[in-house]
Amino acid sequence: MRTQTSAACIAGVGHTAVAARLGRSAWELQADAVVQAVADAGLRPCDVDGLLTEPGYSQGVIEGVTPHFLRLGAMLGLDPRFTGSEVLGGASAVAMVQRAAMAVANGLCEVCVCVYGDAPSQAPGVWGYSRGDGAAFGFFGAPGIHALAAARHMALYGTRPEQLGEIAVTFRHHARLTPHAQQRAPMTLEDYLASPYVVEPLRVLDCCQISDAGAAVVITSRERARDLKHPPVAIAGFSQAHCLTSLVNDDYLTTLPARRAAPEAFAMAGVTPGDVDLAELYDCFTIVVLLQLEDYGFCKKGEGGGFVDNGGLALTGRLPTNTAGGLLSEGFGGGMLHIVEAVRQLRGECGLRQVREAEVALVSGYGLGMNTHATVILTRG
Amino acid sequence: MNEARPLPAPDEVTRPFWSACAEHRLCFQQCRACGYRWLPASVVCPRCWAGECDWVPSEGEGTVFSLAVYHRAYHPAFQALLPYVVAVIELAEGPRLVSNLVGVQPQDVSVGMAVRLEFLDLDDRALPLFRPRTRGG
Ligand SMILES: [Zn+2]
Repeated sequence: MRTQTSAACIAGVGHTAVAARLGRSAWELQADAVVQAVADAGLRPCDVDGLLTEPGYSQGVIEGVTPHFLRLGAMLGLDPRFTGSEVLGGASAVAMVQRAAMAVANGLCEVCVCVYGDAPSQAPGVWGYSRGDGAAFGFFGAPGIHALAAARHMALYGTRPEQLGEIAVTFRHHARLTPHAQQRAPMTLEDYLASPYVVEPLRVLDCCQISDAGAAVVITSRERARDLKHPPVAIAGFSQAHCLTSLVNDDYLTTLPARRAAPEAFAMAGVTPGDVDLAELYDCFTIVVLLQLEDYGFCKKGEGGGFVDNGGLALTGRLPTNTAGGLLSEGFGGGMLHIVEAVRQLRGECGLRQVREAEVALVSGYGLGMNTHATVILTRG
Repeated sequence: MNEARPLPAPDEVTRPFWSACAEHRLCFQQCRACGYRWLPASVVCPRCWAGECDWVPSEGEGTVFSLAVYHRAYHPAFQALLPYVVAVIELAEGPRLVSNLVGVQPQDVSVGMAVRLEFLDLDDRALPLFRPRTRGG
């Protein structure tokens, strides 16, 4: 099945608690996640020679122009061989893993920590942004553009609100099996349909959590990983694709750059969509999951609604997806928690939510209002 | 409205667009080399990278590419307008832009609906908005 694997793998994962308000600064959350991921790998601070960071959203406002990696690295006492910050929005976490894998494979560093952390509860209001002159038309917030996407998908392909609801309900069920998840209350399709519109056709329950959380992963060489605490998880394939022009494309709003990223990641890993045992798809809004299922080739364009119907994304469904609850219910971990969960699934550590015989996991990151996309395919051993 | 709408903030790239709007003309850019037409404003042709382009006024006819109905005001100026419609409009000439649909109930708007340009004057600026075309109009 697999023809090649990259020289790098994931040797450690870690994260903080995930909640609407933790009362800790973003710096504390980031540092805590780093400490836990390095400990999980069985490594010490002096082993770390690479640091990649994602500042999150609220901190960009607070910190202005200070490079994020500089301040966090100083606090962690690191003088690494390789560093930087990623600003691809929700694609940053996966993109950092890729950058780290390339750096390790090419000898620029040997142990690279990739970290996300944010404390939006300490900077309220940053999510109601607008871009360009959109504010003059009341075009605010992340829900707006995703509502445009959902409305067009519904108009072109007959996608129904109940199908978006199925995604939210399935992920909530997974979160109920995840001890650290932010939202663990039961949710039914009736609850979904009764939740108020934010930007129609998207409802409150179509939108992800806003969370204080930190999460990190440790990337190292296969050779180095061999003697560490856990069986390594291979970074088997990865790719990126971006759409910076957006508005002008024929398939604007209904196709993501995932469609262009997918073939390269699958080819590099030597797998097909049919080989994927579980997916951790960036899910800032339900519609984004549906679009990615189509764009990655799990189903045809326009058929995402049918794919998610009848528990298609459940642990025993067609494609177990967002097995810890995703951004929608586990909480907002900037996409890094998606990677953590995929690693844990491939290690077989997930208890009640464990996908049986999980060998191949696909993780996606997506950001900045349909512009950026990054994919990584992880395999056991 | 208790608080004024946020006004567009023209910069050196978008100023010709907003200056034309103030005179009630919705203009897009057109490349002298390859003929490509586009919005939003750029400093080169996004297709062939030629530097020479013209600002060309649209006839003002378009269709709804997609729409979103805001039930929540992210800015106090929009509270009184709820629910209001943000739409991506595809002009008959090709370029697309984000705007509002006015003069229609949100439930009566659909993707593909024919719309016509109008302007909302705000101080010394004007916003290009769209209204469903009446039959035969
Ligand atoms: Zn040109």
